[in-house]
Amino acid sequence: MRMFATIAKLLVKRVLTAIPILLIVSALLFCILRILPVDPAAMSLPPNATVQEVEAMRAEMGLNLPLYQQYGIWLNKLFHGDIGRSIHFRQDVTSLIGSTLPATIELAVIAMGVATVFGLAGGLFLFYVRGTRAEAAMDFLSILLLSLPEFLWSLFLLLIFGVFFEVLPFTGRLSPGFERPVVTGFLLLDSLITGKIPTFLNALEHMILPCLALGIALSPSLMRVLRSSLLDAYQDDYIQQARLRGLSEKRILIRHGLKNAILPTLSLMGVQFGFLFGGTLLVEIIYSYPGMGNLMVDAIRNADLPIIQGAGLTYCIAVLVISIVVDSLYLILNPKLRVR
Amino acid sequence: MRPLPLWLKSGRVQTGLVIIFILAVCAIFAPYLAPNDPNEQNLLSILTPPIWADGGDAMFPLGTDSLGRCVLSRLIFGARVALTVAFSASIGAMIIGAFFAHVAGYFGGWVDWLIGRVVEIWLSFPPVILSLILMVGLGTGLRNVVLAIVLVDWTRFCRVLRSEVIVLRRRDYVSAAQLVGFSHWRTITREILPGTLPLLITLMSLEMGVAIIVEAILSFVGMSVGSETAAWGQMIADARQNIYDAPFNLIAPIFAIFFAVFGFNILGDGLRRTLDTRLTQTERT
Repeated sequence: MRMFATIAKLLVKRVLTAIPILLIVSALLFCILRILPVDPAAMSLPPNATVQEVEAMRAEMGLNLPLYQQYGIWLNKLFHGDIGRSIHFRQDVTSLIGSTLPATIELAVIAMGVATVFGLAGGLFLFYVRGTRAEAAMDFLSILLLSLPEFLWSLFLLLIFGVFFEVLPFTGRLSPGFERPVVTGFLLLDSLITGKIPTFLNALEHMILPCLALGIALSPSLMRVLRSSLLDAYQDDYIQQARLRGLSEKRILIRHGLKNAILPTLSLMGVQFGFLFGGTLLVEIIYSYPGMGNLMVDAIRNADLPIIQGAGLTYCIAVLVISIVVDSLYLILNPKLRVR
Repeated sequence: MRPLPLWLKSGRVQTGLVIIFILAVCAIFAPYLAPNDPNEQNLLSILTPPIWADGGDAMFPLGTDSLGRCVLSRLIFGARVALTVAFSASIGAMIIGAFFAHVAGYFGGWVDWLIGRVVEIWLSFPPVILSLILMVGLGTGLRNVVLAIVLVDWTRFCRVLRSEVIVLRRRDYVSAAQLVGFSHWRTITREILPGTLPLLITLMSLEMGVAIIVEAILSFVGMSVGSETAAWGQMIADARQNIYDAPFNLIAPIFAIFFAVFGFNILGDGLRRTLDTRLTQTERT
């Protein structure tokens, strides 16, 4: 019970600090995008509109007001769930983000899973080979891997498994000809709920390469942190004591070493998963995956300000949510922080 | 002859320096090294394969892209953009980040609190998204790419250096300097900065690799330098469109980016091992 109370307290505190951050972020977004040399009013009218019509549109969109008033109006609308209409797609930004966000979340969450598995396994392996000749080689390899960002991994995996061996699909979320159930927007979940197994399998196939690219790119830094925190943990007396009690090395590693070493790794994950969420943008473009990254880049190419603002803000919220979730996990796993 | 300083003896540092030297030679002497004009379009020979494949042309050793431009020449000229961005962006980010880190760590109190909150706000943006949005606001061009990377990445320096400054500030020699009546500025630059310098140099080396990746990402989505300047990210974007016809066009710039980033990373790792005073002798070797 006490643990729940501490976690609830943390959640409330974090959400309260997230609010001013989001306000400032939204103000920054608003200002950066308002100094642009594009005129949203002229863009939302046909090219043959007269100067008077453009002026009328400017007045209607509130573009003649001072910047802080414009921001106030925008913020007020934001609280009512209205972040404007896309100039290019002629659709509400909320519905555009609503239809692309689940795809991005699906991609990011599975990729985080992949990163965790590779990171933990790699870190344990790096630790296991400590002091041997293989260590130097593995250490070198991990620097090599650190130099390949998700952007290059995506292209690399696409070339190998998509183009040379042609074993995996690399465009979109689904091959043509598959039925697309829409319940929650999360394709894997929806196809399972509606019992469309072929769709599920096909969608899963499409996820393999992008998730591997994101996950592998993130894992080397996790591996390195896990290894060094395991090395730190093994300096402590309780490991020696466990040995004296006659516990097996495997049990010492899992029950004593890993349990302590996982915490620094976890706190790194919070930051890294935030980066990963941003990294989906590139991966989505490379794999033509219809998520928020593609929406964002389309919007940037068309100078579609409402989408850029909306999507930018959504990315920030996602990063904050991820860090809050990881912090709560940290609290659950770290008994030292629980009792105050 | 004087013996080499310890950090130069490290194999990692040497590897990194050799790679950076090769890139620098490519960038500086690009007009002499490149077999063709990187922007000359040969519409009669588009997507030529590299010289060792069937149908390769000796005029274009690594083949041509979808507009018939020489891949090798674009690769060599692309090193100019990459290195310009790497050096200027990391220096800029270092100056801003180090300044705020030293101010925050040295003075503490509300100054530290304020700078800490600003960094927190910055970190709530994924870096890729923030740099893209900044590029939208600033407009394309080499100078703006550098500016965008500086504005995004100064927090990397600030966060790490700040905690180092806090440790150093508590040292006796810093208190001694304050007692003697050194000004704050003089204490920071003469007493604290020499202590943070090793970390600063290491971070800068790593930041150069990051800057190269960010530039490649921005030019991949067409938000970096204009199309008249050859950049690795643009080459990747072009090759992605013709992935079945000319897969090699994709491999060449991927390798170039990897090579450059690896050079800066291994240099940074080598410097960290040899310069970081907190590491023990065994860890260093």
